[in-house]
Amino acid sequence: MTSFQMWLVSVFVSVKPVARMMHTAWGWPLAESLHFIGLSLLIGTIGLFDLRLLGVARGIPIAALHRLIPWGLLGFAINAVSGAAFLLAEPDQYVYNPSFHFKVLFIAAAGFNALAFYMTAYRGVTAPGAAPDAPRLAKIIAAVSLSLWIAVIVAGRLLTFYRPVPCQAPEPGFLATCIPGFHDTYWK
Amino acid sequence: MDPVFRWIESTSLSVWTRESTSLLAYPAILSAHAIGMALAAGVNAAMALHLLGAAPGIPTREMRRFVGVGWFGFWLNAASGMMLLIAYPTKALTNPVFYLKLSLIVAGMGIFVAINRRLSTAPTALEGWTSVQQKCFAVASLVSWGGAITAGRLLAYTYRRLMVGF
Repeated sequence: MTSFQMWLVSVFVSVKPVARMMHTAWGWPLAESLHFIGLSLLIGTIGLFDLRLLGVARGIPIAALHRLIPWGLLGFAINAVSGAAFLLAEPDQYVYNPSFHFKVLFIAAAGFNALAFYMTAYRGVTAPGAAPDAPRLAKIIAAVSLSLWIAVIVAGRLLTFYRPVPCQAPEPGFLATCIPGFHDTYWK
Repeated sequence: MDPVFRWIESTSLSVWTRESTSLLAYPAILSAHAIGMALAAGVNAAMALHLLGAAPGIPTREMRRFVGVGWFGFWLNAASGMMLLIAYPTKALTNPVFYLKLSLIVAGMGIFVAINRRLSTAPTALEGWTSVQQKCFAVASLVSWGGAITAGRLLAYTYRRLMVGF
């Protein structure tokens, strides 16, 4: 995977305008603020929906609360864009960061978990006249969703404590967690 | 205030929070602070969006069941924020942006309490409030929480002094 990671970094580094914008006085703080606002929006809608499936606020029809989900997707979109900006501006700080590897893994898992929800329990719990109590499968998916999003936040917050350092050649392993050599594009 | 800051910075709790390499020190506190933020600001955002017309099928009064989640986030952040303050009192307390952040949180929580009082006492949701009032509260809530988050993020960039003597 190391050569794939190096290729990824070289591709991201080649997108220069984003890096230039991010390295202005306001670029980074602004993108970070948006990233935190987006995550609050995501937890405030998807997280509350998960809690509802788990049995909180049974007086709210599940279908009615589901109408807030597009706002969570907006939060996710805000974070995908601001997150891409971080990645393009400082690619080696993420591509070789073990905390980032876990963050991506948790986000992907949360995506598949959501897909599983829409393919199984969604129709039942949002059908007209659906029981206020969600079935066990929906509850399991909701608990997994909540745990994964919290794990995403933690892995994101831990990024700064696992910043990769340059190394001559990475230890053999599935993913490199230090910055191998310096390719020419790095300092340009 | 320097003698007070210096004293706080010399306490073992402050030193541990700041310097310990344990994941349970600074990293865990920062993570808790982000989770609390998501819960507190998230619940408020959901309520505000609903008051502005999103998800109209939600019985507004039932949103009070999520109030506890908002308070949980708030207290988690009061506690974790206190730890961050103990770690770096000079950094926060000499920065005007920190006071702006606290003011915005006070405003956001004030609106949260005002809305909740309506949700729990009015026989029907938000009775006695015109829809214009509702929407004003909702917009003020979104502005306060968005502002508090932004001000919080800016703390990492705007401080003049990290610690006494630095």
